[in-house]
Amino acid sequence: MKKTLAMVLAGGRVEELSVITLFRPKAAVPFGGLYRVIDFPLSNLMNSGIDRIGILSQYRSDSLINHIGSGAAWDMIGSFRGISMLPPMKGTRSSDWYKGTADAVYQNMEFISNYDPDYVLVLSGDHVYHMDYKKLIKFHESVNADLTLAFVKVPKKGAERFGQAIIDDENQEGGRILRYAEKPSQFISPWASMTIYLFSRQALNFVMDEMMKPPETKHFGNDIFPVLLDKKRVYGYKFRGPWAYTRTIDEYWQTNMDILKDKPTFDIENWNVRTNLENEHILDRTPSLFGPNSLVQQSLIHHGCRIDGIVKHSIIFPGVHIEEGAVVENSILMFNAIVKKGAKLTQVLSDMKVVFGENAHVGVGELAATNIEYPNLLNSGTTLVGKGTHIPANLEVGKNCIIYPNKRETDFPKTKMENGRTLK
Amino acid sequence: MRDCVAFLLAGGMGSRLNILAKTRAKPAVPFGGNYRIIDFTLSNIMHSGINQVGILTQYQPYSLMQHIRSGEAWDFIGRSRSARILPPSTGINASDWYRGTADAVAQNLNFAKRFNARQVLVLSGDHIYHMDYRPMMRFHKKRKADITVAMMHVPWKETKHFGIASVDGDQRIIDWQEKPEQAKNNLASMGVYVIGMNYLERALQNAKGYDFARNIIHDAVFKDRVYAYPFDGYWADVGTLRAFWNSNMDILRKESGLNLCQWHVRTNLDDEGHIADRLPTRFGKNAQIKNSLISFGCSIEGQVINSILSPGVRIEKGDRIVDSVIMHDVIVKQNAHLTEVIADKRAYFGAHSEIGIGEASRPNEKFPRHIFTGLTAIGKAAQIPAMTKIYRNTIIEPFCDKDVIAAQDLHVGSYVKQRRVKSAVHLAEENFN
Repeated sequence: MKKTLAMVLAGGRVEELSVITLFRPKAAVPFGGLYRVIDFPLSNLMNSGIDRIGILSQYRSDSLINHIGSGAAWDMIGSFRGISMLPPMKGTRSSDWYKGTADAVYQNMEFISNYDPDYVLVLSGDHVYHMDYKKLIKFHESVNADLTLAFVKVPKKGAERFGQAIIDDENQEGGRILRYAEKPSQFISPWASMTIYLFSRQALNFVMDEMMKPPETKHFGNDIFPVLLDKKRVYGYKFRGPWAYTRTIDEYWQTNMDILKDKPTFDIENWNVRTNLENEHILDRTPSLFGPNSLVQQSLIHHGCRIDGIVKHSIIFPGVHIEEGAVVENSILMFNAIVKKGAKLTQVLSDMKVVFGENAHVGVGELAATNIEYPNLLNSGTTLVGKGTHIPANLEVGKNCIIYPNKRETDFPKTKMENGRTLK
Repeated sequence: MRDCVAFLLAGGMGSRLNILAKTRAKPAVPFGGNYRIIDFTLSNIMHSGINQVGILTQYQPYSLMQHIRSGEAWDFIGRSRSARILPPSTGINASDWYRGTADAVAQNLNFAKRFNARQVLVLSGDHIYHMDYRPMMRFHKKRKADITVAMMHVPWKETKHFGIASVDGDQRIIDWQEKPEQAKNNLASMGVYVIGMNYLERALQNAKGYDFARNIIHDAVFKDRVYAYPFDGYWADVGTLRAFWNSNMDILRKESGLNLCQWHVRTNLDDEGHIADRLPTRFGKNAQIKNSLISFGCSIEGQVINSILSPGVRIEKGDRIVDSVIMHDVIVKQNAHLTEVIADKRAYFGAHSEIGIGEASRPNEKFPRHIFTGLTAIGKAAQIPAMTKIYRNTIIEPFCDKDVIAAQDLHVGSYVKQRRVKSAVHLAEENFN
């Protein structure tokens, strides 16, 4: 088998996720009651037998470094396997922040040469999907491509957020890319780039030696691919499995809630997804305790929780305490949240270590149109609460509100926070 | 605590745990959802800052070895920390099976010497408790004791199961009765001993028998400095099915003192394949959970009341699980009712089956002393056919298949055994987990 090295792009923040990505890159965002988004590509790599990985990190990488640990969680440990964190560095050749996807790879060419792979698989660390990269490699070989990009079919609405390609109809699996445009304002094709690029080594060397002109050349999508189409055999591979981008609060919300369905699109159970259980001490937590008056329906709950109240249609991460008389509905509560007696949560997305005071009502009332400050970002009724915030007792918080991290009781209005407000 | 080495006695057969110990050593019996009994003692050792542990095994060691692995789960890893399984071996000095607990320690004294241990902590691997051994070791040094025994007051009616001591005002033990019919006191040994290395070496050489409690502790009381270190926390010997069930239920009783959340017990989730890779537990539309402990990886559509669930259990619609301990990957098909059941791993309950019905009007016919209070014990991977009624005090042996159970005339206190010759696969399975 030929040697493949994976370079995972995990440096980006993604502003649309608001307070959830203030302290972590998107790749480290908690997902599905246990996981981090990057677990999906990493597990895909593990399941595809690719076990040499570089992770290109930049934005707030501490949470990611913690999460990756030794790499043992994905069996990426041993003398021929491993995960290396590749943060921006100073050196004789490269000496600056990563300025884009192509630049990040460019600055780590030495790492790539040391391993001397036949293929370099560049992929984004912030998509939720289940894919066997072996099939991609097989396709790449069968069409004798220099570079193969994976695409997924998306609806026209929202397609402007992706690289789009017109792919020649050679066969079911894909074909030569006839045109590529990165995030075009004019819709050209429903086939959207999944940010999965498989380079043959020579093609990557060609790009890095001949086409890079730092600091102008930054991104594969903008600066490289449109030009490379004429110079090399660039193919599009059509992926037809479940895939989620989770780039907005809405998408993140829906992808999470999909898991609660009887027949979820994202059938994580059969994906063999691994996560690092040493992160957040998941490993050390006891099974969850359910009190005599608890009621839990249509929900996901892992270890370390204490549930004495009511939980419906919600995703509860490890270490959450829900006290007696509290009601949590349609919500996602990340690690170690505390919901005190009588508190009521409806459609709340709360980050780690949030405390909801006694009888606080969050996400109540009629649906307001949008968040006032960020109307495009938050308009489906979800209220966001940042990491470590304490919501005071008896406070009423409306829908589409954003509350920033680490707010104390005294930062809040006395009795009510109206629909659509933001507390910074 | 660099001058201390712990010996963990984990060789017991635990025959009174009946079906649970048929396929594994007693310390490896699952407990409290995702733990095994030995995790409690191992975690105590870890939290007490002791860096070297020797685990003395003999009976069915595979599941234990699988569980301990590198010792990493309890941080026994690094250049000066380790957890080693010490099986019997042949050699010039040691050349036989362990003839008893004292013999097992004697044959492995070199393990302690290698680390220049000045004190040895001898523990058993089959008790549920939370204890910091450091104050006890300080107590031992301060009293210049030869042996210090951790002791606690037990109900008088239970004194016959324990080593019982009488002490003077300074906690020095002045009298000892081993499992007495008529106890003079109710201060009982917890099977936790601190012993000076030199003293231990001499005592083992001069011992008249091979049992630690009888031939080392008991004999020392009348000639050497033996002290009782008082302990008053939760402690349970889960040596019988009844005690095992009770102690599991204590997790659900707030006032019991068994506080899993505060004990920080560690376990190794890497054993038996991939327990750790499971998803959060999924609660369905009609799930009803009351006063229960539920591990990850389960799927629950029915009622679970006062019960303990290990990872991977499937409870379907219309099920009603009450006062039960359900281990890994058990499947309960629709509309089944389980009351006071201990179900070992991978047991299967067919639809509409009813387990634990009737009164406990007579004890189990084969093991009247193991099961008599109304519990029902279902062995590993036993297959209960749909619509089956199983009465209280019944024991179903591991790997019983549907035909065997269907052919049986079941009543209160039944005992069902797989009569067919076992396949090689079964035998291999029995030796693991």
